[in-house]
Amino acid sequence: MLEHGQGAPLKPKRVVVIGAGGFVGGAVVRRLTRDGVPAHGLTRKELDLLADGAADRLTAALDPDDSAVFVSALAPARTPALLVQNLRMAEAVGKALAARPVAHVVYISSDAVYADDANPVTERSCCQPSSLHGMMHAARELMLKTDVKAPLAVLRPSLLYGARDPHNGYGPNRFRRLAEKGEAITLFGEGEEQRDHVFIDDVAQLVALALSHRSRGVLNIATGVSTSFRDIAEKVVSLAGSRSEIRGTPRQNPITHRHFDITDCLKAFPKFRYTPLDEGLARAMQPE
Amino acid sequence: MSLPVVGFAGLTHLGLVSAVGTASKGFRVVGYDADGTRVRDIAAGRMPVVEPGLDDMARTFAKNLCYTARLADLEACDIVYLSTDVPTDARGESDLSVIRSLVAEVIPALGPQAMLVILCQVPPGFTRGLPLPPHRLFYQVETLVFGRAVERATQPERFIVGCADPQRPLPKPFAEVLGAFGCPILPMRYESAELAKIAINCCLVASVTVANTLAELSERIGADWHEIAPALRLDRRIGAYSYLAPGLGIAGGNLERDLATVLKLSEGAGSEASVIAAFVHNSRHRKDWALRVVHREVLARKPDATFGVLGLAYKENTHSTKNSPSLELIRHLQSWPIRVYDPVVPASAAPHPAVTAAGTPLEAARDADALVIMTPWPEFRAVSARALAETMAGRVVIDPFRVLDPAATQAAGLSHFVLGTSHGSVG
Repeated sequence: MLEHGQGAPLKPKRVVVIGAGGFVGGAVVRRLTRDGVPAHGLTRKELDLLADGAADRLTAALDPDDSAVFVSALAPARTPALLVQNLRMAEAVGKALAARPVAHVVYISSDAVYADDANPVTERSCCQPSSLHGMMHAARELMLKTDVKAPLAVLRPSLLYGARDPHNGYGPNRFRRLAEKGEAITLFGEGEEQRDHVFIDDVAQLVALALSHRSRGVLNIATGVSTSFRDIAEKVVSLAGSRSEIRGTPRQNPITHRHFDITDCLKAFPKFRYTPLDEGLARAMQPE
Repeated sequence: MSLPVVGFAGLTHLGLVSAVGTASKGFRVVGYDADGTRVRDIAAGRMPVVEPGLDDMARTFAKNLCYTARLADLEACDIVYLSTDVPTDARGESDLSVIRSLVAEVIPALGPQAMLVILCQVPPGFTRGLPLPPHRLFYQVETLVFGRAVERATQPERFIVGCADPQRPLPKPFAEVLGAFGCPILPMRYESAELAKIAINCCLVASVTVANTLAELSERIGADWHEIAPALRLDRRIGAYSYLAPGLGIAGGNLERDLATVLKLSEGAGSEASVIAAFVHNSRHRKDWALRVVHREVLARKPDATFGVLGLAYKENTHSTKNSPSLELIRHLQSWPIRVYDPVVPASAAPHPAVTAAGTPLEAARDADALVIMTPWPEFRAVSARALAETMAGRVVIDPFRVLDPAATQAAGLSHFVLGTSHGSVG
């Protein structure tokens, strides 16, 4: 559950976005800029968190009045080496935030921290990652809780999609690219698994809301509506006007679903509305 | 030989109803409370609690009843029940400081042979630790049900009595009082009786949680829990009076208190109690049912909607708003205009910066985009669905407890959302 340090929203003086070159970080910077909030984006070019002296360089870039959004990650962290690298990045950020405390910190985590069978997932669901990626985020959350003295908001997004997503994982982004090329979409099994897919602009808006309320605590970023991969493939093909074939394959693994109970979001931000999947997919397919 | 005189220390909801119920059995009763204003109000017939039948019964047996703010008046009693409220903290755990200080005041005021009976909800082990000889110290399980308290106080199913030695007969005056109610008396050791109270509540919560869990599933798979529950009640292993009506989680505070007590005791004792944690989790989830329906069925379509809310009390026939689902819902609707009506609770109890008080249910519904019926007060059943449809601007009626007749509501063109039916699914 998020608690707001500021009941009425106030524009942050400046927001430093650590990891501004990525899919989420870029969207956050664009959103803040659109809202008239001074945003200082740090990409790997300006700040390589794995380089020697990264913590000192970040410390020098921070002002006490800043809010910081930490989104940088080598994701997905599928190998032990990537896990360790991600933790070193968080160590550098933690050191900098301990040395130069700021006004507010937002960490972009992941719903991968939750147990696979935690349905419906809430902010109070058991954190029991089954993947290195989930363990990475869970460990980073704890590292930040240790180092950060400012109010800390941990946002845990479900699966994200959007036009600029550089990843090509199984789901809306890959399906969209295949549909646009008229190539076949291959499903795991018949694509029965239901997941909660979030449009990238919604993540950016929720980050902006958390910043403007100086919120602390945990909030999941999920729409509360889960959809099967087959339904998504069919929607994408239809929206693209494509003739892509949607192919099932023999099922290798049991069907699992993930649903979210988003009541905490309704309470934290009662006027916020998630973009419906059909609308989000249509927007993701428009050329920017 | 004269009948024993019975005292009640603490004219709380429990104490007052129990005092009047005992007086109705012919005993002289002394009702003590340190709050002189409360005592004067009660003596003048202005009851601080709403309970069907209480006012009439207090008038009928007034000659047996004496209310006092003087502690020394308890000296005339053969038996004194301690009937104060035991407040809970945010985690649902009991704050025993109130009862401890009342015990410290009452014990010196007792007659030399008088018995003290703890009637409050206390954790196992509490009674045995009190400084009174075992033959004068007892614990008795209370089973107050708000809205049915008089019936429960005058026609109990049984008495569960905690004592130091359950093999010894109860003292004559105490046995005489309990015997007047004509129900079984079950003496047991203090700790067993204290845990029996908790066990009763855990069983009730288990039933309610089963109902709530399967009601939610019903909503999502096209079943109707209202068709299923009567079939379960005909099963002798489940029972005609079992708690199978779906609700908005566990309200009122006392059930949550017992769940918190079991969790704490189990943690200390190392016993497995994850099912109790699951009850708490499910209750929290279902408490927000109406909020989820409001967002999905109303605000997602009309972001500037206005609402009518019927009911503020945590349940019907009570003035209590402790842990009221209605107030919890209203707390999260502060950004939207609402108009409220409750037969007993004033609109000022609503945690909302700009709530409007309505004088009737229909006035609360006037021009509303959605009406939410959060307390199943009997008078709401008389509200005409057709009249609602005429006065409301929108068509949505969120009626978790199915106060309105579904067929009439549907015939009036309203969208009726009810706990446990697929029609009220919130996805």
